[in-house]
Amino acid sequence: MTTAVGQSVSRKDGIGKATGATKYADDLHFPGMLFGRTIRSTIPCGRVKSIRMDFDTSGFTIVDYRDIPHRNVVALIDEDQPYLVETEVRHMAEAIVLLAHEDREKLLGANVVIEYEEAEPVFDPERSPHSFKDITIEKGDVEDALASAEIVVEGTYRTGHQEHVYIETNGVIAVPEHGGIALYGSLQCPFYAYKALRSVLGNDHPLRVIQTETGGGFGGKEEYPSMIAGHAALLAVKSGRPVKIIYDRVEDMVATTKRHPSIVRHRTGLTREGRLVAMDVDVILDGGAYSTLSAVVLSRGCIHAAGPYRCDNVKIFGRAMFTNTPPNGAFRGFGAPQTEFAMEVHMERIAEQLGMDSLTLREMNALRPGDMTATSQVLKQDASALECLQEAVRRTDYRRKREELKGTNRGIGLALFYHGAGFTGAGEQRLASKARLDLTATGARIMVASTEIGQGTRTMHAQIVSDALGVPYETIEVAQPDTSVVADSGPTVASRTCMVVGKILERCALEMKERLEGMTPAQYHAKHGAFSIVKEHIQPEWMRWDDDNYQGDAYATYAWGCDVAEVEIDRDTYEVRPVKVTAVQEFGRPIHPALAMGQIEGGTVQGLGYALLEHVVMKNGAMANPTLTNYTIPTTLDTPELDIVMLENHYDGGPFGAKGLGELPMDGPAPAVVNAIRHLGLDLRDIPAIPETLIACASL
Amino acid sequence: MERFQYTRARTIPEAIGIGAQATTAQQGAPVRFLAGGTTLVDLMKLNVEHPTRLVDINHLALNAIEHMPDGGLRIGALVRNAALAHDATVMKDYRVLSEALLSGASAQLRNVATTGGNLLQRTRCMYFRNTAMACNKREPGSGCSAIAGDNRSLAILGTSPQCIATNPSDMNVALAALDATVQVQGSKGERTIPFRDFHLLPGDTPHRETVLEPGDLVTHVTLAAPRAGATSRYLKLRDRASYEFALASAAVIVEVSGGRFGNVSIAMGGIGTKPWRMTAAEQALAGAPVDEATIVRAAKLALADAKPQSENGFKVELAQRCLAHALRLATGMAAS
Repeated sequence: MTTAVGQSVSRKDGIGKATGATKYADDLHFPGMLFGRTIRSTIPCGRVKSIRMDFDTSGFTIVDYRDIPHRNVVALIDEDQPYLVETEVRHMAEAIVLLAHEDREKLLGANVVIEYEEAEPVFDPERSPHSFKDITIEKGDVEDALASAEIVVEGTYRTGHQEHVYIETNGVIAVPEHGGIALYGSLQCPFYAYKALRSVLGNDHPLRVIQTETGGGFGGKEEYPSMIAGHAALLAVKSGRPVKIIYDRVEDMVATTKRHPSIVRHRTGLTREGRLVAMDVDVILDGGAYSTLSAVVLSRGCIHAAGPYRCDNVKIFGRAMFTNTPPNGAFRGFGAPQTEFAMEVHMERIAEQLGMDSLTLREMNALRPGDMTATSQVLKQDASALECLQEAVRRTDYRRKREELKGTNRGIGLALFYHGAGFTGAGEQRLASKARLDLTATGARIMVASTEIGQGTRTMHAQIVSDALGVPYETIEVAQPDTSVVADSGPTVASRTCMVVGKILERCALEMKERLEGMTPAQYHAKHGAFSIVKEHIQPEWMRWDDDNYQGDAYATYAWGCDVAEVEIDRDTYEVRPVKVTAVQEFGRPIHPALAMGQIEGGTVQGLGYALLEHVVMKNGAMANPTLTNYTIPTTLDTPELDIVMLENHYDGGPFGAKGLGELPMDGPAPAVVNAIRHLGLDLRDIPAIPETLIACASL
Repeated sequence: MERFQYTRARTIPEAIGIGAQATTAQQGAPVRFLAGGTTLVDLMKLNVEHPTRLVDINHLALNAIEHMPDGGLRIGALVRNAALAHDATVMKDYRVLSEALLSGASAQLRNVATTGGNLLQRTRCMYFRNTAMACNKREPGSGCSAIAGDNRSLAILGTSPQCIATNPSDMNVALAALDATVQVQGSKGERTIPFRDFHLLPGDTPHRETVLEPGDLVTHVTLAAPRAGATSRYLKLRDRASYEFALASAAVIVEVSGGRFGNVSIAMGGIGTKPWRMTAAEQALAGAPVDEATIVRAAKLALADAKPQSENGFKVELAQRCLAHALRLATGMAAS
């Protein structure tokens, strides 16, 4: 029996946030603190010829690449991105010089004159000469199957950049302590920042990274904080004083990562009845000027590119291309929203060409337990594509509406989708995450690096420990992530914090319970004192993954969803208004129903913005509309009625049957909305579907 | 932070006296009147405005909506947008004004923003608001970054090679259609300015946005008695459902009798460097039959002089459709 899990208990961070007592990075002050500022490139491609400080430099700390004590490289996957430009500039807003001063006005007034030798930039990923990563997934013989297919349908689909718009912009404070640095910051992954600081400062300094209360991340605070942390640390080391760097909204939008734009081409072979026999998919992501996480975003994108469908012959070829634009990076969904968008709009076009109903087409081809995915993973009983589809169709009376609404200004469309939980393939095994649980005088304290970024990590982890340990939820504390004290439970990304880290914590709690031998934590503590339990992730023993050929069990499990969007169009103005979205999603089971509902609502609205509103305008390699006046995200009035259904299908590998949920809701809304617009008779294949795009669309 | 002197004015002459010490009442004015502050404080934080003296006029007796003997309304400069929008007479007799006010900003901002302030609302052109970019309106002679920049939301009427910024106010569009007058008190006494003369085209001096001189204080906006039998509407098209500036908007006041248009007043927003009166379309409609062909012809005529920028060509058609639809709404050809 559970008393906390499955209940919408009060949030661990709720009171502090509701009363305004919670301190965010910019609320923190340290004695003698300086403010930091980043001087950035104003060309997209070229070389720095000279740098001149055109101001009175007294009182300033000035850092360029020559001040870096160890390596001028942001430690991530490929290690190609410098903290500070040496001579080569690869994108707009690339950091070149750092300044710090105790007076913000003086800091903002400082004029650094940089002379460049400009070179010809590359902005079109299709014309780029350089790919950061190529991935090929191959099953069966696609060319053979296409040649013998009764029908072949082709199509190209495009998605734009998307900005995270977390409510709190990026910000950190580097504080000198004990001959080293303590780095406080708004971030998702304290140990990523730790590793990055080691790379820039070397191994001689003591280091710790402390996550401050974080106002949203959505992936935008996965890898980027490593950059800003390094900058603040360099200024702090040189000045010997605490240095705070907080980006304003414009700087945050111009300089930091965004969702990768994509171009996805499909060539699909089918029988006349509509059975998929061959899928040839070409995926291009615009990686920007450095590799950052593009290789793994591409990997997840490619693995999800064939959609939740069975097909014996699949070839997916993906490339993440270099362009002279600020690097794109992690964003909720991590490549899957782009490729699943293409797949789901393509399915609609296949149905149109076959002259069949797209629902029947999906039902016929949807992955079922026992079926094989594109990577030849055989699905277990926790595959719920059909259940989601059928429930969504039933609740919305989809078939009847699809007929009845024809010829009106209201359209209805759906999207079927899925999302692998946790790191891909052997990723979780390599990470080998650890969690620690400390017994306290009143209960237990969770000691993990997993971060609360608004999604409910602390609450959800405490619920799991509370029930596994059999003690009241209120007696479970959660430590602030500080790399010097907590276990490295891995990054807070990839829909893994509940399923993977939650499971390790559950095992910690179960072992602690055994050690307590029937005593309460208080009784045990009084008698024997405190102790800790540390556990490491255990990869399911059945998982096999071939990283060279991208074949095998890509994820331990998948969450599944079906979104139905109903939209209205004004044919005078091409305004599209979502009227209702029904989201049926299966993610094992909700640990905290209200928080899970919040994840689905938030992800759905973020997906609606991606589909209809959010347009990053790039000019000469930089975002030209980097303000919230010109980059529009949905408000409450743009949010339609949401009907959210949480289907349960317990996954044995997760805590109390839970899978990951964070990213799934982002995958469905864009294709569902675009398919609803297709139902209105517009041949739309690209997002964002702003009125100018719609007005140029051919009629079906 | 930059220092400034703050004075709470107790009387209108005191406010005018301090204002008159300045060299200009336009961009960069050293003395600014502080009412709702929703634009001014924003621009001070962005380093776009640097007044050395703020004169708080919130305590002056300028917050009444008065019924005039001629049947018109006199609106005090300090009447808040929310109060004006929800005023019973405004809702009944000047619906276009109420709808325009309620389509702007957010409820919180409308509670604070004033009539006089909204009259003087500054452009949302992001190059004006970003001191790292060249802008002739902010810094005369520095150039216009918008012309070669992201100009999707900017003007297609009344532009000059120096500036293409739009006037962002919804209220101003309704006031233009209503032929409002602006009452001003200054060091040389009181004067009344017809609304159409109040705002200036950018020309070679985009930093001059109105005819106001140092010391001039807007005290009232006056509306003539409502036209008997006229219906009025405001239609605003924008990128999302709320808290967003117009891509195109139309204020229409329409008289219809015997299936024909009588007097028609039309002003449009989101497309002009000042609130834009559509006289050619008004003339084309007067006396013409109320039908789809007339409306579409008038809407086309209204935008005949439009000069799109590199990225807002769509606005021409959007504005035509906006005006046509506003006319349909006002004549009952379409339901809202």
